[in-house]
Amino acid sequence: MRPILEVCELKKTFPITSGMFRKSAGVLKAVDGVDLAILPNETLGLVGESGCGKTTLSKMILALEEPDSGSIRFEGVDVVRARGSSLSQVRRGIQVVFQDPFGSLNPRRKIGSIIEEPMIIHREGARTQRAKRVRELLEMVGLHEDILPRYPHEFSGGQRQRICIARALAVNPRLLICDEPVSALDVSIQAQVINLLVELQKELKLSYLFISHNLSVVGYISHRVAVMYKGRIVELADAPALFENPLHPYTGCLMDAVPEARPRKSPAFRPQRRGGDQDSSGLSSGCAYRAWCPRAGGICAQEPPLLQEKGKGHFVACHLADPQG
Amino acid sequence: MADTDLTDGKANGQTADDLWNTREPEDRDVLVDIQDLCTYFYTPEGVVHALGGVGLQIGRGRTLGLVGESGCGKTVLALTILRLIPEPPGKIVRGKVLFEGTDLLGLDQAGIRKIRGNKISMIFQEPMTSLNPVFTIGFQIEEVLMLHQSHRAPARKQARDLAVELLDMVGIPYPRRRINDYPHQLSGGMCQRVMIAMALACRPSLMIADEPTTALDVTTQAQILALMGELKEETNTSILLVTHDLGVVAQSCEDVAVMYTGNVVEHAGVEDIFSRPLHPYTRGLMRSIPTLEARKRGEQLHAIPGNVPTLRNMPKGCTFHNRCDEVMDVCRRERPPMFRPHPDHCVRCWRYANG
Repeated sequence: MRPILEVCELKKTFPITSGMFRKSAGVLKAVDGVDLAILPNETLGLVGESGCGKTTLSKMILALEEPDSGSIRFEGVDVVRARGSSLSQVRRGIQVVFQDPFGSLNPRRKIGSIIEEPMIIHREGARTQRAKRVRELLEMVGLHEDILPRYPHEFSGGQRQRICIARALAVNPRLLICDEPVSALDVSIQAQVINLLVELQKELKLSYLFISHNLSVVGYISHRVAVMYKGRIVELADAPALFENPLHPYTGCLMDAVPEARPRKSPAFRPQRRGGDQDSSGLSSGCAYRAWCPRAGGICAQEPPLLQEKGKGHFVACHLADPQG
Repeated sequence: MADTDLTDGKANGQTADDLWNTREPEDRDVLVDIQDLCTYFYTPEGVVHALGGVGLQIGRGRTLGLVGESGCGKTVLALTILRLIPEPPGKIVRGKVLFEGTDLLGLDQAGIRKIRGNKISMIFQEPMTSLNPVFTIGFQIEEVLMLHQSHRAPARKQARDLAVELLDMVGIPYPRRRINDYPHQLSGGMCQRVMIAMALACRPSLMIADEPTTALDVTTQAQILALMGELKEETNTSILLVTHDLGVVAQSCEDVAVMYTGNVVEHAGVEDIFSRPLHPYTRGLMRSIPTLEARKRGEQLHAIPGNVPTLRNMPKGCTFHNRCDEVMDVCRRERPPMFRPHPDHCVRCWRYANG
C-alpha cells in the first residue's frame, strides 16, 4: 500500500542566542534527520519527552514551519514547496487537534461558526449546505445540535475536545494530527475521546499521527509506534512488538518509568536514574543517548547509529540492539 | 471510636452513621484525622458545596493518595487543611481537622501560621510558577528556614549551609554552585526538587503534594516519586498525594481515598482498592485506563458515560447515580452514608448497605 504521508531526512534547527546583542551561541537540532511514513487508515503513535521535537515535526508536516532540509510528501504533493492551490489542498487534507481544548477554541465565537469556519476558508459549499454539514459533524462526534448557538466556555474539557475534532473533520481530511489530544482530560473523559477517535477512524478511513507522552494511550490507539529522542526516531515498530520487546535502551527506560496502575509487589519503586533531565549538548558525535545507556560501548561514541530494520518491521537506531535478546 | 461531636452533624442533616462509618484509625498511629469537613463557596449564582462532609485519616509516616477528577474538590481539601481557602467567597462551614490532636480549624491566625510550612508544608503542581523568578533558589530556601524556625532561627551563613544540604538531599548535582541559580536556569524536574527541598526544610510531619508530577515527563516523574518515597522513609513524614493518575497512586501510596463531587466515596488500603474496588465509580476509573492487552482483544475502552456534574447543580440522591450502571431506586432518592463492608475498607454506595 502506498503511504499517505512520507517524511524523508527531515531536519530543522533553531539558533540559540544569548547575551545582549543576541549573539549566536550555537544551534538546537530540534528535528535531526527523521524518516516516517503513514499508511492510509493507520495510526502512527509518536512518543517522546518534552523537547524531543515531536511538535516541531508535526508543525512541519502541517506546513506551518519550514524545514532546513528533507522532504515531506502528502498524497504525492511536496508539502515543503507547495504554494497556492496545492498548499491549500495539503492543508485541507491534513487537519490538527491540539492538546488544550481551552486555548484552541475562540471564546468569542459560537460553536456553530467555529465548526463552519474551515469550510468557509476552503470555500466549500453554500451556506445551507455548510449548515447541514455542521449538524452532521456534531452528530458524528456525539454532540447535540442544540449547542450550535452556545459559546466554548459553557462546555467541559471533553465536550470541547469533541468540538475541536468536529472542526478538524469539517473539510474531510485524510490525515489527522492529534497533538496530545487527551492529556488535558480526566481519565473517564479521556476514554470517551479515545473511543470516539477509534470509531471515526473506522468510519471515515482516516489516518492519525497520534502524538503523546502517555505510553499506555499510545499503545492502545496506535498500529505502529515511533519513539523520538533528541530529534531522532530511535525505534519504530508495530505497537505490540514495541511494547513487548523494546530494543532501544531508551524505549525500555521510558516504559519502566510509566507507573503501572497495579500496586507494586516489590518493597519500593526504584526507577533507574537515567534519561530525563540531563543535558547532552556536549555530545556532538556518536549516539545522543550513550551517556545514560547502560550498554554503551566504544562504537557508540564514534558514529551516530542509523535506523535499521532488526526484526520484521521493527526499526532501531542502536549499534548494540539485538532482537534475540 | 469517639462520638462526641455527633450533635453537630445531626443538626445539619448528616446522619450519625456518617461519622461512625468513616474509616477507623484502628491501632495505627493517626497523624491527621479529618471529620465531616464541609467547605462551601458563596457565589452570586448560589452556594457551591465544594466539600460535603469529608472524612479521612492519614497515618504517621504513610502516604495517602487522594484521587479524583478535576473539580471533585481535591485541591479545596488540601487548601482547607492549611486554612488557605479565600474567605469570602469560601467558608469552612463545619467539621474538624485534627492534626496531632489539635483542631486546626479552631486555631487563630497566629496559631495556624506556626503550623503552615513548619509542621505541614505544601508542594504545588507547577514548579516553574510556584518559585519566585527574581530570587535565587538558595535565597528562597534560606527564607523558609529563617521564617519558620523562629525559636532556633539560623543565621544567614548557617541557613546557607542547611540549604546546600537540602539541595544535596533532593539529588541536585553540585548544590553549592546551583544554589546561586535562578529558577529559570533549572529544568522542570529540578525546580520540583527545589520545591520539595523547601517543603522539607523544616522537617514537617505532613507534606501535601498537589499533583506534584503532572507537569513533568514520565522519566522525571518516576525520579520525583522515588525521591519522595525515599525522603518519606528517612524523615518519617506523612504525605497527602493529590493526583488524578491511578498509576502514580498504585506505585507510591499505602492508602487511597477516592473523591467524587466533594465527597470521599471510597477509602481503603492500596492493595484493597486495586484488587477489589467496591464503588462503581472507582471500578469505572480503573477500567477506563487504556492498555495494550485491551487493544489486542479488540475491546473498546470502558468509558464512564456523561460528565462530572458541576458542583452547582448536583443530582439528588447519590451524586454518581446518573452515570452509574448499577443504579438502584434508593440511589436516586437518598445520599448514601459511608458503609464499611470490610474492616479496613469504606465505601459510600447503597450496594453495600447490608455489609
